[in-house]
Amino acid sequence: MFYRLSGVYHSSLISDSRMFKVPADRNLAVFLLLIGLAAPFILPSLYLNSYILPWLIWTAAALGLNLVTGWAGQLHLGYAAVMAVGAYSAIHTVRLGVPWEIALIIGGLAASVIGSLFAFAALRVKGLYLALTTLAMQFVMDWVLTHSPTISGGSHASLQAPTLALLGQQITSDAGYYYVALGWCVLVTIFMLNLKRTGLGRALVAVREKDFAAAILGVNSFYYKILAFAASSFIAGVSGALLVATFYFLAAPEQFSVNVSIQVLAMVIVGGLGSIIGSYFGVALILLVPGLVNGLVVTASEELGMQVNVETLAHIPNAVYGALIVIILMIEPLGLGKLYGNIRDYLMTWPFDQLRK
Amino acid sequence: MAGTLALAEPFKVGVCYDLSKAYTFATPQVSQAAMDVAKLINMQGGIGGEPVEVIVRDHGNEPQRGIECYSRLSREGVFVFDTLSTPVSLAILPRAMEDGRILMQSLVGRGDAVDGTVFEWVYPVGPTYWGQMANDIRYIKQLHDDDLSDVKIGYIYFDYPFGQEPIEILKTLSQKEGFELLLYPVPLPGSDQSGAWSKMRRDNPDHVISWMLGGAHVVASKEMQRNRIPMDKYISVNWLNEVDIANIGAEAATGLKRGTNVVGGQDVPLRLEIINKLYDEGEGSGPLVNTQDVYYNTGLAMYSIIFEAARRAADLEGMPITAESYKKGLESLENYDANGLMAPITVTAEDHGGGGKTRIEMWDGETWVPQTDWIAAYGEVVWDVVRESSSKYGE
Repeated sequence: MFYRLSGVYHSSLISDSRMFKVPADRNLAVFLLLIGLAAPFILPSLYLNSYILPWLIWTAAALGLNLVTGWAGQLHLGYAAVMAVGAYSAIHTVRLGVPWEIALIIGGLAASVIGSLFAFAALRVKGLYLALTTLAMQFVMDWVLTHSPTISGGSHASLQAPTLALLGQQITSDAGYYYVALGWCVLVTIFMLNLKRTGLGRALVAVREKDFAAAILGVNSFYYKILAFAASSFIAGVSGALLVATFYFLAAPEQFSVNVSIQVLAMVIVGGLGSIIGSYFGVALILLVPGLVNGLVVTASEELGMQVNVETLAHIPNAVYGALIVIILMIEPLGLGKLYGNIRDYLMTWPFDQLRK
Repeated sequence: MAGTLALAEPFKVGVCYDLSKAYTFATPQVSQAAMDVAKLINMQGGIGGEPVEVIVRDHGNEPQRGIECYSRLSREGVFVFDTLSTPVSLAILPRAMEDGRILMQSLVGRGDAVDGTVFEWVYPVGPTYWGQMANDIRYIKQLHDDDLSDVKIGYIYFDYPFGQEPIEILKTLSQKEGFELLLYPVPLPGSDQSGAWSKMRRDNPDHVISWMLGGAHVVASKEMQRNRIPMDKYISVNWLNEVDIANIGAEAATGLKRGTNVVGGQDVPLRLEIINKLYDEGEGSGPLVNTQDVYYNTGLAMYSIIFEAARRAADLEGMPITAESYKKGLESLENYDANGLMAPITVTAEDHGGGGKTRIEMWDGETWVPQTDWIAAYGEVVWDVVRESSSKYGE
């Protein structure tokens, strides 16, 4: 009923490797994209710029991490450090007088170079050892940022980002920032959707499942791992730069510290490894739910006229949020993306599958 | 009367604090002080005949949630904000500057924001870490009969921006006064300091200035005992409270000093008034034990300033108070000390810090004993660093 399958059959490889095999999925994606485009006219600016904008940029970043962790199966604990490389190099490039378009690409490339250089050394080890090595990269980057005023911008290590300008157009409005974020997120999503259908994507999955088995099949696992690190670092770098350009307006080391790395990893794991829609859900849960639950708890206690200590009030949302993550991962260990998949599978032929029973 | 009250827009302060993560060593006491000061003012008839309100929200020290808190409260008509968190203060600063809203950032955030000619909307009332350090050196100079030429001063600090900030001023003063400066960086969170202190034992500095927080003071005191370094060499930054003293041990902490911009201890007139009128009536905003802490006094000082400025704004420009009139109110504060609670402050359009006075207090085993008057030393040197740094903003 919801997913019309009548007339949907694939008789060639080309047709079978379409991005959306069921028209309903494609329609849903188009519908969501239209809502995304119309959002500045529908939503108040508070929600647009305090919730939706960071959500989109973090989703793009999480998708990048999903590429290396979800697709290529390499645990990465220094993702925020790579974002920092992108952010700082882009801002410094713009401050030198280079236009933003080029600066964003330079930021991405710088992140890519540093990220894959590190991977080059780190990939000599596997699994947990690799995770620890990437963690080391995070600490090295933290140290570099807090100890070099020329990079971090001097006083209290904060670096002002110049006004964002794209295609000769200064961007200063809420809607403008939002469209930049939306554009980048859509671009990354399309890249990731296509990745599944390419030889590169299949090679990455082969490496993830068993790297020496992949090697026997003729897939150079080291090469593909480096490629995954490079591509994901590029996405991280541009996302980091855009995060500062459209949301923070100022770069500081705390914005890219180790707990941020853990947070992005949590977004990917809660969302579902290797799931694109899951990354959207995961980011929403990790990034937005604490604030939303906080607002709800505050409103509830005011409505009910409860005299709750502000400190207690601040800790209730954390408990609720923690419980939510545990419950979700207990119900579906493969994450929110799989949860969505389950619902979709159930509705795929509903209600006609009920007739057989 | 009821009708006018319903129409009136009360003066509100947005208290976006970290009540659940890194800053919880101080935020419960400070936010409680904020609410108590507001209650006391409302009992006495409010400001300009209208009640005042503090809106306390948690941002968990996350810049993203701090921005959310700022945007949400801005829409509710709040134009005075306080974050008590350096990362969040940094994240809000560009927006407040753009929107023309007042960002109070006493004791946190970038120190160069005292330069009112650059940071029009930011008010770090109270000492900057630079000013506080200069005052510490002034105190040491006083101990050595105004001659620092053969004095060794050790500086132990968290090796990240908070602790690194005063190094520049220390180096400048070391050249100016001729004392020998020894640096001892400590990695966060300060639980491992053994290397720094055993090096300190060999170097044997005459004084140790410490830029650390919370539990790190306790670790430092243990290391000092192990290395037989007497406690009276230790001069702490203002972040050292009664909990830290209790953890070090009241006896063992004897001789320890700290720089401060508020009067320590519990015999402060404003605190006594609040205890008398609120806590004795069961109307306090939290547990009584939180009020027996120097950070409660710090909070009283911060919010006395915030509301005094509102009162002056109402006197100068009438109600309702706007961001512009509030700014004028702040800049009319002259030698204001909240009834003997803190160092007198004078805020001007150029100096948003209020003069940066602090004093040194010593723990005598039972209470804090002032060692100096309220001083603001080396003003020229401090302002050179401020201007050099603030000139880079917005480049």
